[in-house]
Amino acid sequence: MSRIGVFVCHCGENISRTVDVERVAAEIGKLPGVALATDYKYMCSDPGQGLLKKAIAEHRLDGLVVAACSPRMHEKTFRNAAKAAGLNPFLCEMANIREHCSWVHEDREEATAKAIDIVRLMVERVKKDKALQPITVPITKRALVIGGGIAGIQAALDIADCGHQVLLVEREPSIGGHMAQLSETFPTLDCSQCIMTPKMVDVANHPNITLHTWSEIENVDGYIGNFQVTIRKKARSVDMDKCTGCGVCMAKCPQKKIKSTFDRGLGTRPAIYVPFPQAVPNTPVIDRENCTYFKSGKCGVCAKVCGPGAVDYDQQDELITEPVGAIVVATGFELYTINEKPKGSPIKGYGEFGHGTIPDVIDGMTFERLASASGPTGGKILRPSDGREPKQVVFVQCVGSRAREKGISYCSKVCCMYTAKHTMLYKHKVHDGQAYVFFMDARTPGKSYDEFWRRAVEEEEAVYIRGMVSRLYQKGDKIVVMGSDISVGVQVEIEADLVVLATAVQPRQGADALAQKLGISYDTYNFYSEAHAKLKPVECATAGIYLAGACQGPKDIPDTVSQASAAAAKVMTLFSRDQLEREPIVARVNERNCVACFYCKKVCPYGAVEEKEIRDRQGNLVRVVAYVNPGVCGGCGTCQATCPSKSVELEGYTDEQVMAMIEAL
Amino acid sequence: MNSTAQKLETSTPIDTSCYADVTDAIRKEAARILADGTVTAVVGYKAGRRAGTTMPAIVTDPAEAGGLIFSPACVNNLALYLTKAKKDVVKKGRIAIVAKGCDMRALAGLMGESQIKREEIFIIGVVCAGVKGSGAVNSEPLTTGNLARKCRECTVRTPEGADLVAGTMPSLPELTPVEALEMARLEAMTPAERWAFWKEQFSRCVRCMACRQVCPFCYCEQCLCDKNRPQAVESTPRPAGNMAWHIVRAMHLAGRCAGCAECERVCPMEIPLNLLNRKMALEMKELYGFEAGLAPQEKGPLSSYKEDDDQSFIK
Ligand SMILES: Cc1cc2nc3c(=O)[nH]c(=O)nc-3n(C[C@H](O)[C@H](O)[C@H](O)COP(=O)(O)OP(=O)(O)OC[C@H]3O[C@@H](n4cnc5c(N)ncnc54)[C@H](O)[C@@H]3O)c2cc1C
Ligand code: SF4
Ligand code: SF4
Ligand code: SF4
Ligand code: SF4
Repeated sequence: MSRIGVFVCHCGENISRTVDVERVAAEIGKLPGVALATDYKYMCSDPGQGLLKKAIAEHRLDGLVVAACSPRMHEKTFRNAAKAAGLNPFLCEMANIREHCSWVHEDREEATAKAIDIVRLMVERVKKDKALQPITVPITKRALVIGGGIAGIQAALDIADCGHQVLLVEREPSIGGHMAQLSETFPTLDCSQCIMTPKMVDVANHPNITLHTWSEIENVDGYIGNFQVTIRKKARSVDMDKCTGCGVCMAKCPQKKIKSTFDRGLGTRPAIYVPFPQAVPNTPVIDRENCTYFKSGKCGVCAKVCGPGAVDYDQQDELITEPVGAIVVATGFELYTINEKPKGSPIKGYGEFGHGTIPDVIDGMTFERLASASGPTGGKILRPSDGREPKQVVFVQCVGSRAREKGISYCSKVCCMYTAKHTMLYKHKVHDGQAYVFFMDARTPGKSYDEFWRRAVEEEEAVYIRGMVSRLYQKGDKIVVMGSDISVGVQVEIEADLVVLATAVQPRQGADALAQKLGISYDTYNFYSEAHAKLKPVECATAGIYLAGACQGPKDIPDTVSQASAAAAKVMTLFSRDQLEREPIVARVNERNCVACFYCKKVCPYGAVEEKEIRDRQGNLVRVVAYVNPGVCGGCGTCQATCPSKSVELEGYTDEQVMAMIEAL
Repeated sequence: MNSTAQKLETSTPIDTSCYADVTDAIRKEAARILADGTVTAVVGYKAGRRAGTTMPAIVTDPAEAGGLIFSPACVNNLALYLTKAKKDVVKKGRIAIVAKGCDMRALAGLMGESQIKREEIFIIGVVCAGVKGSGAVNSEPLTTGNLARKCRECTVRTPEGADLVAGTMPSLPELTPVEALEMARLEAMTPAERWAFWKEQFSRCVRCMACRQVCPFCYCEQCLCDKNRPQAVESTPRPAGNMAWHIVRAMHLAGRCAGCAECERVCPMEIPLNLLNRKMALEMKELYGFEAGLAPQEKGPLSSYKEDDDQSFIK
């Protein structure tokens, strides 16, 4: 006969308000095998745990049920207490009578009856619990960082500086991300390139960082401490080892007129290119879609002019598989466009702004390129249509953002600040120009941020109009901006030379597909979800995977860098140990019953199932059965549900236990 | 809907001249591969004790190959002998098996489930004009009247993927479908009617487990329905346990059973088991475009996940 102790918690009043905890204890005390059933105000408190420990010794308990909150909250707490009192921690289970009962019911009578049922089920389960020993697995002290924007760069440098190997995977030909495109940065107006490029060079030179640019994540297997990642190294068509970065190929390539994405279509580049002169690595790639050689088999100029013979048209994509122990996801953002969206997309474009057909209506990032000293205009503000200097520029904030009817209800966080920055940059370059800003309100929380915004308004004479723009259209060489000024309640119409839209910050296209490969969750917009909005802002719910930068939500550079360093600190904490203790909630095969159909192997999402040969003493093969590698098993139970002969079971959740629970109902 | 072959009004004879050629070819091939050591045993059919019947036979001596036959009475799906009974068939070496097109589908399924390895078997495929349905008189020749129902709609008369195919197909008279009509009747029922229909059918089950015994896919050595610690399915023939057994059976065979109809043939209570199997197969086809047994599968639709899988059932 078992000697089970049951402890019913009041949780202050959280449980006792709706559930008659004394009655639950009294009823459960009558069950066979229950040696003690009692209630207490706060089981998780120090005295509460003390009560539990004392009872284990006094009543010689061989199993515990703590009827309280969710096991996600306190299972560890009580298992540790049990362990401290000399009881195997896996003989202690929680019955959730808070989230599953008191919080969701009002009727005291019914809630109490349900609480009794819940506790009774757990008593039956504990009766059949077995003492389990934790599993230890080694940690691969090597990190993967996905995305080489400022977030990924910062995280990679921090981890590498701590002495660990880092793989940095970037899908573009160069690292740098959006920050490399910016002109000057709020709130100090220092040159973005000047603070960014040294960090990029540090990455390239760091002995602990292996950089894979022009690469993407193909597949991720494994679990915390022991991931296996497959990286697709896209064919660059240039041998990284041979290329000296001299740039002769780019100068000689006859295809010169390809729109540069880095310059937001304002400048051009050849078919063999680096996205910008300070690119890291400084090795070009061939854009096979636009290269004459790949299109028609003729040309081959770059290969001819390349001194070291680095150009290689036959290069193929290469797949490499690398073991890593932790992953930092830093894939950043992209900007919303006002263009027409595909049918069925929850996000709408702006037909009233011409759906992107008016050439002098540009977005903020395009303005950054115009204002950048290394940009296509050499830092002169010239409008795209005719190259003239615009004398009246209208900036429109919250395009896409905070517009539920357009499909996005969140605030993009950086637009108020960068629009203020844009008005200043404009004023500094076009002294006789006038900037207007349509805005809902100015959101400037951040060190020196409000001061920065006030400077734009008060010293740099930007005219801020509180209101929305209802329509934009081309009239001659002007763009008519129709809006309202709600502070005085009038309609306004401005004939502008250039319109700059502060379009919403969105997750990358395909962010969801990457999340599915990684097994992490994401919100309705596809921003990656942190494990806890307040207390775990950089961890994913999936152990061993961390978030940094704008892929988790719109962020400015200081916030991005802070989060990246925080994610790096989490990785370093993990790497400070040699072994990871894992819960022994893993599947085990009954080798006598297994008929080797290997359905378990087919369905196991962790790849934990192997084929095991059983041989007799002479070494003859007797039979083949399934074997679950406990270090790899994630304890999901999929195999248990699939096995036709019920030959594989999850420890702690055996069929016998589950059936006993059902029968107790 | 019962499993005895329905007497159709017109009963045209079926040309069974090919069966003699097939028999000949099986004997020659069996003798050859046993003699030259290609295989250690041949699983086939031999004449039964009563005239006009056949029974499964396991031949290990080339001299006995002459006893092998193929006739419209060769109803058994011999694939069964390569799984749970395999240990009794032969201890070592490669085994040959005589397989009709429908039996081939079971072999393909078993290969996908690691129960047999293609290189460990030698398949003597046979062309098949059809076998007799249960209830057919032994002495009668094969006609459109006594043909097994599954054979009326057969799409695999010439097996594919065998090591050799014995015989050539004769031309067949027009065959009116029976199974398709039954399925249409089942489909036309409301869910409540269908439930009542199956409840009535399963209430007759005596739990003799003949259906399980004959099924090539029920190869578990310890069936979960026989377990008593914990007991998931009541083992006595009472309504709740019967329903549970038949649901387990249908679910475990979904996406695997290719419709050899052996279960239905052996059921003493004439429960239309293959109708349920076919209904499950239809679901598999409609939901995933999948048909069991057409080729050995690494993963079937029920053991794999694809992003474009139909999710409409989640409401
Ligand atoms: C117009 C504009 C002006 C701004 N001005 C300022 C300013 O003045 N001051 C300020 O503090 N902030 C400013 N910001 C905000 C700033 O740009 C962001 O905070 C910062 O760029 C976020 O960095 P990140 O690394 O998270 O993302 P990103 O810069 O977007 O970098 C992400 C990187 O990941 C790569 N990547 C994406 N997907 C994958 C994948 N699947 N596999 C591999 N690699 C991938 C991308 O190619 C990219 O290199 C501005 C933003 C905008 C839009
Ligand atoms: S699913 Fe079950 S019977 Fe099949 S191999 Fe796995 S444990 Fe064995
Ligand atoms: S419980 Fe089973 S399916 Fe899940 S990870 Fe473990 S072995 Fe794989
Ligand atoms: S369930 Fe019946 S029809 Fe299907 S494979 Fe088994 S015996 Fe044949
Ligand atoms: S053969 Fe028929 S009676 Fe026997 S267990 Fe199967 S369904 Fe029931």
